[in-house]
Amino acid sequence: MDEILFVSAVLAAGIRLATPIMLAALGETLGQRSGVINVGIEGIMLVGAFVAVLGAVETGSPWAGLALAMLAGAAMGAIHAYFSVVLKAEQIVAGIALLFLGIGLSGYGYRLTLGASGTAAAIPGFRPLDVLGLAGVPGIGPILFGQQALVYLTFAAAIAMAWMFSSTRLGVIVKAVGEYPAAAASAGIGVDRVRFACVSVGGALAGAGGAFLSIAHLWGFVEGMTAGRGFLAIACVVLARWSPLAAIAVALLFGIADALQIRVQSMMPGVPYQFFVIAPYLVAIAAVGIGSRTAMPAALGKPFRPGGR
Amino acid sequence: MTRLNRPEVYGIVFVVALVVGAILVAGANPFEVARAAVQRALFTRAGFLEALLRTVPLTIMGLGIALSFRAGVFNIGMDGQLIAGSALAVALAPWLPGGAAGIALFLALGIAGGAAWGGIAGLIKARLGGNEIITTIMLTYVATQLLSWLVRGPMQEKMRIIPRSDPIDAALRLPVIVEGTRIHAGFLVAVLAVVATAFVVRRGRYGFKLDVVGQNASAAAYAGMNPAAIAGMVLAVSGGFAGLAGAVEISGVYGRLQEGFAPGFGISAIAVALVVRLNPWLVPVSALGFSLLYAGLGSVAQKALVPFPLINIIEGAVVFLFLAASVMPARVPAGAKSDG
Repeated sequence: MDEILFVSAVLAAGIRLATPIMLAALGETLGQRSGVINVGIEGIMLVGAFVAVLGAVETGSPWAGLALAMLAGAAMGAIHAYFSVVLKAEQIVAGIALLFLGIGLSGYGYRLTLGASGTAAAIPGFRPLDVLGLAGVPGIGPILFGQQALVYLTFAAAIAMAWMFSSTRLGVIVKAVGEYPAAAASAGIGVDRVRFACVSVGGALAGAGGAFLSIAHLWGFVEGMTAGRGFLAIACVVLARWSPLAAIAVALLFGIADALQIRVQSMMPGVPYQFFVIAPYLVAIAAVGIGSRTAMPAALGKPFRPGGR
Repeated sequence: MTRLNRPEVYGIVFVVALVVGAILVAGANPFEVARAAVQRALFTRAGFLEALLRTVPLTIMGLGIALSFRAGVFNIGMDGQLIAGSALAVALAPWLPGGAAGIALFLALGIAGGAAWGGIAGLIKARLGGNEIITTIMLTYVATQLLSWLVRGPMQEKMRIIPRSDPIDAALRLPVIVEGTRIHAGFLVAVLAVVATAFVVRRGRYGFKLDVVGQNASAAAYAGMNPAAIAGMVLAVSGGFAGLAGAVEISGVYGRLQEGFAPGFGISAIAVALVVRLNPWLVPVSALGFSLLYAGLGSVAQKALVPFPLINIIEGAVVFLFLAASVMPARVPAGAKSDG
């Protein structure tokens, strides 16, 4: 029985810890499928986390905070799209600049607003749901019925994106733009427009991931609080071979590793805690080592120049 | 007329507006902020010396970035490599001889530690094709945690009060070279590193390989080079630069291992190297420029004119400006503007 409760608690916490990574990974999947790498989603998540807290405090509604965070994320995505799609600049470098910008804007904004007053503002964050009143059921209750609303929405978004890629015209267009931009263009598709939209929507999803951290998982913003989750999300995308559902699964692996290390840490007080904190990062390094060398979108990272190479 | 309609001009205007807007939002006057920053960095002795001191590690790390980015290898984990090199050097410092040989060995240990840490990512890249952007940054988080453990555990000072190591032997400290300042012999190390890197990039076969691999990996493979192996090697080499920078900082400035002694230098070094288009000769100039910015804005932030993270906004803006500017001549004039 104890074992069941332990597994249940780890899984429930693992899902919660994985959700920000899932959201960011879904956003990155969309962008990369259209042919654009964004290594700056860590920066977008930070901006999303900050804007969500500020928005929730100012409006009194976590949903408004989430909406504003997604808007800010979309704006950050659009900046990346402008430089990498419209100006056709080196995408990795633009992503690094976006990372700087996100670190700066979130830290700067925080110190100007919530961080300026010594007292912590009361943050109206999201509370876990109790779906059908079953969250208390031992074992599966906390896992299936006691999560945040955003968790369910994240899974829904992943399914929707998978369906979009597999069965809709829109999905075909996005894939065509990422795989054969020249062919897509000759079929009358505005390659750059599609890419711009995908990267912006991807930014909104990363912003939502940041928001989950700051108004659902924790209630508050700390500078640099994403702690590499944006990069974990990129790892998810690659390891999941650009499939949204697989990306969710890989993110879950990282989330469970994180949940496990927190628990094992408290069970083994004699071992320095730092050895546990590094676990998810080690899992990511190992996973990247094992799971690379795959077929990426053929035009990934390559700007589209009509009539050019 | 049409020139001002070019999309890169919009990009530049946007980025500048972003920085100016950020300052205005803080209720500060951009001209006042700029004046105070310039005043502090260029016209006060303390500010200028502080900038010079920071130029040393930023130059060394900027060179490592220049080498790796030239090869199309994006080492964004120099902060972790710096920690690894510093920790190894300090850990083995008690067994080193004093004097010039000891200092040289201390720095060499820094290089070795950084190269080993970068080499992990390099090995994963070369053997398994693992993306270095992810592995290097993950390794930085790992290194940060391990440092946190080291300075509270096996390497903590004998007094066991503050999370830091005991000081290294005075004989292992880089001597001050300008009387009455903290400017140390690490300056000469940085100069040497610039010359060596520039020589390798411009003359050597190695530099040629880097450029070929960076610009066209399949052509490099066709010419009998092994792009994956070269990329792996590049990660170790640039890691060595980061480790050297760490060892120089410890030997020249801090004298012991502690947490957060080179905050974000590895990330700043990326901006440093990119802005001068990865040209090793110009890296020190760029490093000095960013160091002046840091020194100036640091004091502006202390006076509570604007919060300090403005520096990160400016770093991002500068890289975006560089991107927009570098796009300008290369753009295809007709057609390319149609979308967007």
